[in-house]
Amino acid sequence: MRSCELTHLSHWKSLPHMISPDQCNRGPVQFSLPVSDPSRGPHFTGCRSREQETFRCWWSAGIFQNLTEPGTLRVFYQTKNALSEWQECPDYTHTVKNECYFNKTFTHIWTSYCIQLRSVRENITYDETCFTVENIVHPDPPIGLNWTLLNVSHSGLHFDILVRWAPPPSADVQMGWMSLMYQVQYRVRNASHWEMLDLESGTQQSIYGLHTDKEYEVRVRCKMSAFNNFGEFSDSILVHVAQIPSKESTFPTTLVLIFGVIGLVILLVLLIFSQQQRLMVIFLPPIPAPKIKGIDPELLKNGKLDQLNSLLSSQDMYKPDFYHEDPWVEFIQLDLDDPAEKNESSDTQHLLGLSRSGSSHVLHFKSDDDSGRASCYDPEIPNPEDLAALLPGHSGRGDNHPLVSRSSSSIPDLGVQQTSEVEETPIQTQPAVPSWVNMDFYAQVSDFTPAGGVVLSPGQLNSSPEKKKEEENEKKIPFQLVSDGAYTSENTARQLSADVPPSPGPEQGYQTFPTQAVEGNLWNGEYLVSTSDSQIPYLLPEAPPVPILPPVSGYTVVQEVDAQHSLLLNPPSSQPAICPHSPNKHLPAMPTMPMGYLTPDLLGNLTP
Amino acid sequence: MSSFLPAVAVLLVALLCLDLHSRVASAPICTHGPSGCHVLSLADLFDRVIQHSARMHSLSNDLHSEFEQYFLPSKNHIGKIYHKCHTSSILTPNGKENAQKLAREELTEVILKLLMAWRDPLFQLHQSMAHQQDFNSFSSNKALEMGDMAHELRKGVEKVAERMRVLGMLGNSVTGLSAAEAMLPISDSGEAMSNYELLYCFRRDSNKVQNYLKILKCRIVPEHDC
Repeated sequence: MRSCELTHLSHWKSLPHMISPDQCNRGPVQFSLPVSDPSRGPHFTGCRSREQETFRCWWSAGIFQNLTEPGTLRVFYQTKNALSEWQECPDYTHTVKNECYFNKTFTHIWTSYCIQLRSVRENITYDETCFTVENIVHPDPPIGLNWTLLNVSHSGLHFDILVRWAPPPSADVQMGWMSLMYQVQYRVRNASHWEMLDLESGTQQSIYGLHTDKEYEVRVRCKMSAFNNFGEFSDSILVHVAQIPSKESTFPTTLVLIFGVIGLVILLVLLIFSQQQRLMVIFLPPIPAPKIKGIDPELLKNGKLDQLNSLLSSQDMYKPDFYHEDPWVEFIQLDLDDPAEKNESSDTQHLLGLSRSGSSHVLHFKSDDDSGRASCYDPEIPNPEDLAALLPGHSGRGDNHPLVSRSSSSIPDLGVQQTSEVEETPIQTQPAVPSWVNMDFYAQVSDFTPAGGVVLSPGQLNSSPEKKKEEENEKKIPFQLVSDGAYTSENTARQLSADVPPSPGPEQGYQTFPTQAVEGNLWNGEYLVSTSDSQIPYLLPEAPPVPILPPVSGYTVVQEVDAQHSLLLNPPSSQPAICPHSPNKHLPAMPTMPMGYLTPDLLGNLTP
Repeated sequence: MSSFLPAVAVLLVALLCLDLHSRVASAPICTHGPSGCHVLSLADLFDRVIQHSARMHSLSNDLHSEFEQYFLPSKNHIGKIYHKCHTSSILTPNGKENAQKLAREELTEVILKLLMAWRDPLFQLHQSMAHQQDFNSFSSNKALEMGDMAHELRKGVEKVAERMRVLGMLGNSVTGLSAAEAMLPISDSGEAMSNYELLYCFRRDSNKVQNYLKILKCRIVPEHDC
């Protein structure tokens, strides 16, 4: 569109009215006009209306110079609505060459006109075009363009202005015969690109963000709303605002900023230096020294070789003291052994074999890695989990997990024996997980589902046993094992033993002794966290009521197995943190061994 | 039975009494005048109607431009740009002065006739645009909106005429308010007009309506320098 206008401007600067052929308008051309081409023959160069009440048309003779005399070329028009005759131009303007003027009488809005350029002498029609008047309206430029300063920014670099103008006097805006839309343009003086603002229906507009110390040009033009023909631009006005140097105000601000920053930096440095130690701990925490179980790091540092050697040579890796100091070590467990492998491990087999072989129950324990399974259990105490397998009734289990609740018949025996064996403290399920170590390796098997799954309970003691007995039957622990087929018999066993009144003691009679193998099988490499508080009814202990309620006890350490294949449970200590020392008295001859585990060598040392 | 009769009689009397005072007429919601809600003055009504007609004309211009982009008339049409619209039979003033010379009643009648003549054609336009796949939904929605606007505008102008009649500005010679012939958009050749022709004609007519309303307002509501 702009290229159209520019070319025409260059040609027709002499004319009082700038021709903007309709080719340059959006949409289809009202004229079939090319750019006014002097190489062509006679043709119309444009028609325009300024106020939608009159209009004019211009033509050019082109290359036919013999036709430039006035009167040779004539314009005829026809208004299509009445299908009238061709009439000649009502008024050939005298002052302007090649112009035909249609005044108000001859101007019909909303009417199609067709005009022809003829040479009467030769009776040739050189050009014809059709249009409607409202589509050739190009309003005059607005007048009275001026600007006022709105404000200057704080930095003094930018300013805003308000530009005002008046509508062209020829347009009857008062009545609304023409409703105009205006467009303001501005640019830095002598720049090539004009900034355009949005169309405005009012007669003022603000321009924001102009730079001080730069000279701007502003101009405005208008068009009829809902039509596409812009009029000419108004004359440009110059806008200039001088920059006010206001550096004094900024000076103290920068000074204050600089001093503030310096002060902050100094403060920070002082802080760091004063709190150096603490900060070092926070930011560079000490790396925990490697710990070898059973070996005192101090001993290592002090470096008495003899003692070290003796320590290392003996398998005395677990002293209660050590564990006492490093309680967290013992509970690092990781049982990711292959369950299948565990299944096949002949721990239980060994247990069974041992039990059958006689009272000399040598528990054959697999050499277990000391992955923290042992807790406060004394080293002399055989692995309670494995000992559980020695319970009578555990026959034909094969690889099954020897749960305690194998047979109810053994339970009373065990309980009796336990009471006889146990000295002070009644049998309690030793907390496998001392409360201060928040880990749940062991879970109480509290119930069996009919499908054969194992229902676990947390090892925490909270409610009375009677209550638990009642609710346990209905309770469903959220975590349930996928049942192993082998458990179904246990289920029946449980059901059989369900009538057995459980001991009033808290969760005593109940231990879970998951072997390592079983653990894998049981939990698939994970550890159960039981959540409910129920206890298995058939669980052992007909232990006498405990005068002292022990804390937590879901677990008891099987101390040994006596000749009747019953388990002697390790009475838990009153303080969960302290490992029970009583078993020591039972098996003094037993050398210290890894907590909770018996090596084959030590098995022989087990004495009832 | 006898106990019912007096009750029924009382009810009937009550209903009759109520009926005397009630009217089934569109009573204005605000009856308190300025203390209640704001009653529109004639000038406000005119302003609203003129705004509405301006929007309608702008919409018709947009649709027409869209058409021109996609359905540019070929070179052959340059000479035959004249489309005979179905509303050509309505005599309309062709200039500002002619419109100013026309009587108010006639001017109002012309406006209403024009709006009425476009009721069905606009509906047809929307239907044909909706069916054609060349148009996206925008265009057919615009056509629908345009039809609705024309309808609302007609209602608005009727209200304005009613108010003018109430205020005594219009004589009773306005006959075109109720009766209006439905005009079928048929071109010279007898075929139905194409969408482009319809849009061309409606653009012209909506511009007419807008300008006539402005002239009417200027004459009825005395304003500065009108």
